[in-house]
Amino acid sequence: MYFRYILRRLGQTVIVLFFISILAFALIRIAPGNPARMMLPDTATEEQVHAKEMEMGLDKPLYIQYIKYIGGVLRGDLGTSASYQTSVGSIIADRFPATLLLTAATILVSLLISIPIGIIAGIRQGSMVDFLAMLFALIGQSMSTVWLAVMMIYIFSVKLNLLPALGMGGIKYLILPAITLGYPLAAQVTRMGRSGMIDVLREDYITATLAKGIPESRVYTKYAFKNALIPIVTVVGLQVGYFLGGAVVVETIFSWSGVGQLANQAVGNRDYALVQSLLLVIAAGFALVNLIVDLINAKIDPRITLE
Amino acid sequence: MERKLIFKRMVKSKFFMTGFLVAVFVVIISILSPLLANFDPTANALVDRLKSPGIAGHILGTDQLGRDIFSRLLMGSRYSLLIALVVVSLAAVIGTFLGLVSGYFGGRTDTLIMRISEIFLSIPQLILAIAIMAMLGTSVFNLVMVLVITSWTQYCKLARNNVLVQKNMDFVHASQVMGAGNMHIMLTQIFPNITTPLLITISQQFGMIIMVEASLSFLGLGIQQPTPSWGNMIADGRTYLTTAPWMVIAPGVALMITVLAFNFLGDGLRDVFDPKRT
Repeated sequence: MYFRYILRRLGQTVIVLFFISILAFALIRIAPGNPARMMLPDTATEEQVHAKEMEMGLDKPLYIQYIKYIGGVLRGDLGTSASYQTSVGSIIADRFPATLLLTAATILVSLLISIPIGIIAGIRQGSMVDFLAMLFALIGQSMSTVWLAVMMIYIFSVKLNLLPALGMGGIKYLILPAITLGYPLAAQVTRMGRSGMIDVLREDYITATLAKGIPESRVYTKYAFKNALIPIVTVVGLQVGYFLGGAVVVETIFSWSGVGQLANQAVGNRDYALVQSLLLVIAAGFALVNLIVDLINAKIDPRITLE
Repeated sequence: MERKLIFKRMVKSKFFMTGFLVAVFVVIISILSPLLANFDPTANALVDRLKSPGIAGHILGTDQLGRDIFSRLLMGSRYSLLIALVVVSLAAVIGTFLGLVSGYFGGRTDTLIMRISEIFLSIPQLILAIAIMAMLGTSVFNLVMVLVITSWTQYCKLARNNVLVQKNMDFVHASQVMGAGNMHIMLTQIFPNITTPLLITISQQFGMIIMVEASLSFLGLGIQQPTPSWGNMIADGRTYLTTAPWMVIAPGVALMITVLAFNFLGDGLRDVFDPKRT
């Protein structure tokens, strides 16, 4: 059963990846200007542009161009960046670890804060603690990343002079961007944890364990928590997509040289090949994360595979 | 549910009332903004640059070009709210319709629509928006289109899931037996039953769209200067954080209050219509 589920999800992912590649391919066609001219200096003559067009295969039918493009992508050739004059693949590979580090720190920070808060709020539903937790969550969902980032810098760097505002280095540099990026996730996980806990605590088996005289704290941590965890795993997976988008803003504001900042620079430089490849790589990464999340969830709760 | 009961619950729900009142307040302010703004929001006055709040009639101070922040804030609210309204309406209509069709007919239609929406769901919203805006160029029309393209899936998913539950109900079968057309059944029999979750989603999406628009404007891909928007005002103010923090604080607070109001409204609606899952 599990094996068939894996196959089905793999098939779906391949289809999604195929369409994403078509989208990325189409996107560069609708961009204004001649893609061949983009690759050349402004002084290039008509003949040079024409020669470049032939070299890039722009005179061929679209499906041939697509096959050539996807063939290149599958061999790891994402084209050449106009602004950096080097291979797009190596630029992205250079920037990827920084974003990975930021994402990992963000997930860690937000889960450490939100899971305890959410669970306590769920157990003590209707209490003052619960109200404050919900307020924390609602504010987090309503806080624009842009503004939160700027305010973090204003409070912790400008006013209190506690943490560095810009650049990369030790853990100190990681704190502000990770909190900024992580607050909305923390907000959502708080809510999921809370409602998951409330649902689970209504189940008969919890009442049964409590009736048997097993201490409350043990019931909560050992039995209830595990089941409240499943939706959280899914949310974290889906939120990776948000991180990759939010990373553009956060990395730009905090001068964090990751993929997000690169995307913003590529847009500013009108480096279409780079924008296209970033879209492709980020969407593919996100699709793979969701595949992995689904497979983990199916392992935790085998009923999912029966769908 | 009885009207009276719903009304009573609405008044009792703190979230709903707070969200509702603040949202109404924000909308009224933005409609009246030409009357309330005491300066021209796009007029430069370099003599008055970076004045702190309260000086010379500038309630919230001035920016790096001497423009009145209070007036820009009011004008910015019009763009943010109007764009959100247009985007949410279009996305809700398109998404809900596709979701209804997908769930009702099932089979190949369903597979096709679901695959398409999966593709859009599998690309991070802001990344897709940035890529499209970068390729198409910035204009209000493109901005609205991009936001619709990246948000219709929310409604589609919601409508489809609800239709799947509804379409096997007796009242739907009864209409089919009596010879009602598919379109008629979808719109008059099934649709009225999904208005509540739809309303909640619309309310939450309203806040979401305002935030995404602010991010795009901040990155220079949304509303363009000199037209004010909360996002590009924050971008302006970022450079003057140490000398003129009010430039950032004012639009940020406005942004947060507005989005918070719509999120409260959405949560409140959920409380009102489904009190067991508060």
